[in-house]
Amino acid sequence: MVKTLSKGEVSVSELIDRPWITIVWDDPVNLMNYVVHVFIKLFGFSKERAHELMMQVHNEGRAVVSTGTREEMERDVQRLHEHGLWATLQRDDKI
Amino acid sequence: MSNFEKVGDGYSLDLTLDEAQILINLVEQLLELLGEGDFFHHYDSNDPLAQLLAMPSEIVTPDDPVLLRLLPNAYADPEAASDFRRYTEPQLRGVKQRNLRLVREQLTVLVDENLGGVIEDLDSDIWLKAINDLRIALSIRLEINETSFETFELLPDEDPQKPVYAVYFWLGWLQENLLELLL
Repeated sequence: MVKTLSKGEVSVSELIDRPWITIVWDDPVNLMNYVVHVFIKLFGFSKERAHELMMQVHNEGRAVVSTGTREEMERDVQRLHEHGLWATLQRDDKI
Repeated sequence: MSNFEKVGDGYSLDLTLDEAQILINLVEQLLELLGEGDFFHHYDSNDPLAQLLAMPSEIVTPDDPVLLRLLPNAYADPEAASDFRRYTEPQLRGVKQRNLRLVREQLTVLVDENLGGVIEDLDSDIWLKAINDLRIALSIRLEINETSFETFELLPDEDPQKPVYAVYFWLGWLQENLLELLL
């Protein structure tokens, strides 16, 4: 039996609009200052924001660093890989 | 002791001959692993259209753990990862090769003269990325983790891994030195 989704649950338009996200994963090699430097350079974050995201990667093992279309996230992942950061993209799983 | 310095709008690096030789050896090993020359020739393709477009029909995920870390999967899903790799890996590989070649070119001047010395007007961005890729490559071979510095300190001097660890931590120090000038 399949329950019909009620209003307020998932809808097709939400699925289509659901953005993609770029995730940076923790590794024991990249220096903290290097990660901050790369975040500022690639995403134009303030030093404080870049530091905050770097600490999130360090403490929680991962952080979402950008959100957007699949093509935009693929470009971000590629640029992060050029800088040696470990990054992946996926659909945002929060609905 | 080697040092990056800010000189006017640019950056310079002071290296002893030993340090320049260590760096050049590492750069050459990594270039060998990444493959020198035209990055398309590594990929076999039987698809005539792909050959025509110089686009490989498939790029196999690297077996070598260093290559897999330097050219990682962009997706958790293997099919999406493989598709993305096919379109982007040659470029990623090419960028890393270009960075390393540029660094090698500047180091060669010091080593050929059999002298240490100062590399003037270096591209800080390229050097940062190249040093980082060298550190990543060494870290995989050494299986670096959060406690590796203690491991290194406890290793007896005659352990063959000891100098490799020493180079790894020296590169980290060197990179930090440049970052302090940039941040």
